[in-house]
Amino acid sequence: MNMATGLENQDGQPENLKKQLALAVRRIQWSYSIFWSISASQPGVLEWSDGYYNGDIKTRKTVQAVELNADQMGLQRSEQLRELYESLSAGEASPQSRRPSAALSPEDLSDAEWYYLVCMSFVFNIGQGLPGRTLANDKPIWLCNAHFADSKVFSRSLLAKSASIQTVVCFPFLGGVVELGVTELVMEDPDIIQQIKTSILEIPYPIVSRNANLCAANARNDLDHDPVETKSVPVLGSDELDMASPNDNSDGFEPIQLADDSLIIEGINGGASQVQSWQFMDDDEFSNCIPHSMDSSDCISQTLLNPEKPASGPKSEMVGDHQLQDLQDCNHTRLSALDLHSNDVHYQGVLSALLKSSHQLLLGPLFQNSHQESSFISWKKGGFVKCPKPRGEISQNLVKKVLFEVPRMHAACRLESPEDNGNRDGVWRPEADEIGMNHALSERRRREKLNKRFSILKSLVPSISKDDKISILDDAIEYLKVLERKVEELEYFRESTEIEPKTKRQPQDTTERTSDNYGNNKTSSGKKPLINKRKASDIDESEQGINYGVQEDGLADNVTVSMKNNSVTIEIMCSWREGVLLEIMDALSNLHLDSHSVQSSIIDGILSLTIKSKFKGSTLASARKIKQALQRFVGSC
Amino acid sequence: MENSTQESHLRSDNSVTYESPYPLYAMALSSSSPARTRHHRIAVGSFIEEFSNRVDILSFDPETLALNSHPSLSFDHPYPPTKLMFQPSSLNKSSDLLASSGDYLRLWEVRDNSIEPISVFNNSKTSEFCAPLTSFDWNDIEPRRIGTSSIDTTCTIWDIDKGAVETQLIAHDKEVYDIAWGEARVFASVSADGSVRIFDLRDKEHSTIIYESPQPDTPLLRLAWNKQDLRYMATILMDSNKVVILDIRSPTMPVAELERHRASVNAIAWAPQSYRHICSAGDDSQALIWELPTVAGPNGIDPMSMYSAGSEINQLQWSAALPDWIAIAFSSKMQLLKV
Repeated sequence: MNMATGLENQDGQPENLKKQLALAVRRIQWSYSIFWSISASQPGVLEWSDGYYNGDIKTRKTVQAVELNADQMGLQRSEQLRELYESLSAGEASPQSRRPSAALSPEDLSDAEWYYLVCMSFVFNIGQGLPGRTLANDKPIWLCNAHFADSKVFSRSLLAKSASIQTVVCFPFLGGVVELGVTELVMEDPDIIQQIKTSILEIPYPIVSRNANLCAANARNDLDHDPVETKSVPVLGSDELDMASPNDNSDGFEPIQLADDSLIIEGINGGASQVQSWQFMDDDEFSNCIPHSMDSSDCISQTLLNPEKPASGPKSEMVGDHQLQDLQDCNHTRLSALDLHSNDVHYQGVLSALLKSSHQLLLGPLFQNSHQESSFISWKKGGFVKCPKPRGEISQNLVKKVLFEVPRMHAACRLESPEDNGNRDGVWRPEADEIGMNHALSERRRREKLNKRFSILKSLVPSISKDDKISILDDAIEYLKVLERKVEELEYFRESTEIEPKTKRQPQDTTERTSDNYGNNKTSSGKKPLINKRKASDIDESEQGINYGVQEDGLADNVTVSMKNNSVTIEIMCSWREGVLLEIMDALSNLHLDSHSVQSSIIDGILSLTIKSKFKGSTLASARKIKQALQRFVGSC
Repeated sequence: MENSTQESHLRSDNSVTYESPYPLYAMALSSSSPARTRHHRIAVGSFIEEFSNRVDILSFDPETLALNSHPSLSFDHPYPPTKLMFQPSSLNKSSDLLASSGDYLRLWEVRDNSIEPISVFNNSKTSEFCAPLTSFDWNDIEPRRIGTSSIDTTCTIWDIDKGAVETQLIAHDKEVYDIAWGEARVFASVSADGSVRIFDLRDKEHSTIIYESPQPDTPLLRLAWNKQDLRYMATILMDSNKVVILDIRSPTMPVAELERHRASVNAIAWAPQSYRHICSAGDDSQALIWELPTVAGPNGIDPMSMYSAGSEINQLQWSAALPDWIAIAFSSKMQLLKV
């Protein structure tokens, strides 16, 4: 039973005090008692002096075999809790030496014990918080429903909620404050306080300038009741947020998912113009305005707060404006939700300050860590040596590929075969294939590609009889042969014109092709190699030559007209210019020719045109007339 | 066929590793708490830069740490899936629904011994072309809603029950890279235009820009909305080692920037049950768990804990169904790490 802390020693009689507290709290069967006394090192501040825990216990660790009576057990537990707190606090300074000897670890604590432990981290300015006001007013405060209390009244209300502490009583005692709490609802009863007072023996305590403190405390107390007090500014500012957008539940205190309408854009916008409440300052934290008035745990929150301080200036101003509007009806009920939140943040702050270096502790309750060890280890600055990523390599390689390149793959795939995926019908089509759907999909994709090629081929080949693939191929073969022949004819014709440039044209039989050299071609076929790629200039030259050669009868050989009964087949070759096709069609129409098939291609600027048409009426133009009519357009090339 | 399962080989007390025949990227953990079995499903998608890709369904038993693959629970996917996600709350059917994105949003039904394609969602009414999808998010409050993000600058909201588009919004000036639901009708997206925008389906005319990358047009690649506290979301930038934490009430000013990764960050995930914890993973092959402090200190925020993988971690999932486990993917491995 050695309380090795300076706190208790300074009082001189720690053992007595603890026992008195124990006696008092056990007599009334409450959960705990705490004695808050004025700090020796920081006058004007109430801090934890001693306490006795009498509530639920989760895990009892028996270190020694000796059976303890209830008295001893209670004292031992309280002591272990204090040890744990100190080891955790010490851990902040030197994480390595954390928890050197504590018999308990945070996992062993019940909620009420945790509450009791966290209370040790609190300090109160006189006039602030429950203990501070008790001392300032020199009157007992009896708080029912502590777990629902406004944090203005009881800054630990959220903690109390988690520990189910419902009733808290504070009364001034020997220059300090005795606080008692219980998990039940106990109505105010002055007798109980009296009972406790008498059960604690009067022991002469060093009373440190009590009157002076009281004066200061009273002044503070006035401030405390003033709703415009500066310290509550951030909280009130957030309240304003709530008022401006009643739908906005984004304060995050609601742990349950928000209702449908809760987070509307207006709410967000409203919130956007408000103070960001990443940090709320609590009553207790506010006390950092008084220099050097902190105990160790609050010193940490002070240092944490300092960097934020410059930023808080303008915020306070802004909130001040809202404050003016809000003055008349300082609505405390509305405040409460956010106060709870601020308290929650304080609580989290206390937790993180306490347990900063020990994520296991924090994650323990949060993440239901069971017997297994975590894969994660504590992070250390430079705790690992190498960065496996060599310099110069692309960073975020895979993510970038997924975001930048995979979409391109899809796009490319679709451009190649726009009909793929069978989603032609638009919006949504269920796919009901088997697991091998994607095999089928790729097979279908291949087939569709094939089909597409066939249809292109079909469009190129004239006079396709049937639609099936065999017919298309047959016709294509046939057509290719025709083309080959034609090429040969032309080749031969070119040669012969070179030899006999002035050959006279024979008058043509209307049933025959008007091509002058039709017969000649036949005889010389097969001699000339096919010329697949001809240069435009070659053709131009030869055609020019032809034109000049046939100048006499005014008919060029680049137009052939063959007639059979009513149907006329016209083949034209000329250099392409804009509108020539339209002119030709117009001319044919004027000749009462109804064109039912037109095939054209342009290779190297040379238009090859095959027109099949029929005479519409009874007037039949002669092949020569047709040729002449067309020559006007073609010849001008 | 039924029991032809393969057991993973690499296992220790606090991590389980699955080695795939191919590189992995997309990954999803089933969100339903399995009523019939203790097994949780994990879907992993291959990343092969070709047409043929594969999605495999594994099952994980957190008690025995058995991680099994089932040859029958596997299907082909056209090109790598850009994201996989299980239905947020399975209505206790014997099957799970899995969604994948790529050329289209697709739904698959994962049964005990087979996977059936359910539907393909194509928004394009006239042409075949519907711009490829970079990501999607399944609304966990309104599970008939899925929002997709596309390189054509739009986000599309699908009603998957009706198989119809609920709405399509031109969300950004450039490609949209990620989308996340906040609640039933509110979602946010990030884009190559460097902005994070919030949309409300009730007011489609407006969006709110809540963050823009400091260098103009630095693309934002990923977005994670804190489901425990909707004030906060996190995003990552291209070629940046930062995780940017945003508070939706203070637009443009991030509340924190987590800068302890030694190379670019690839993935982020909020803790499913704590509003103050987030995990990030990056090219430095580390997964870091961060606890957001109440107030940021002057020297930045240090992570709480870390894990080093064998190579760049490309993917990270922290599921509500398995809050004690974080799943990461690196090279061809999927690893479950005890938190």
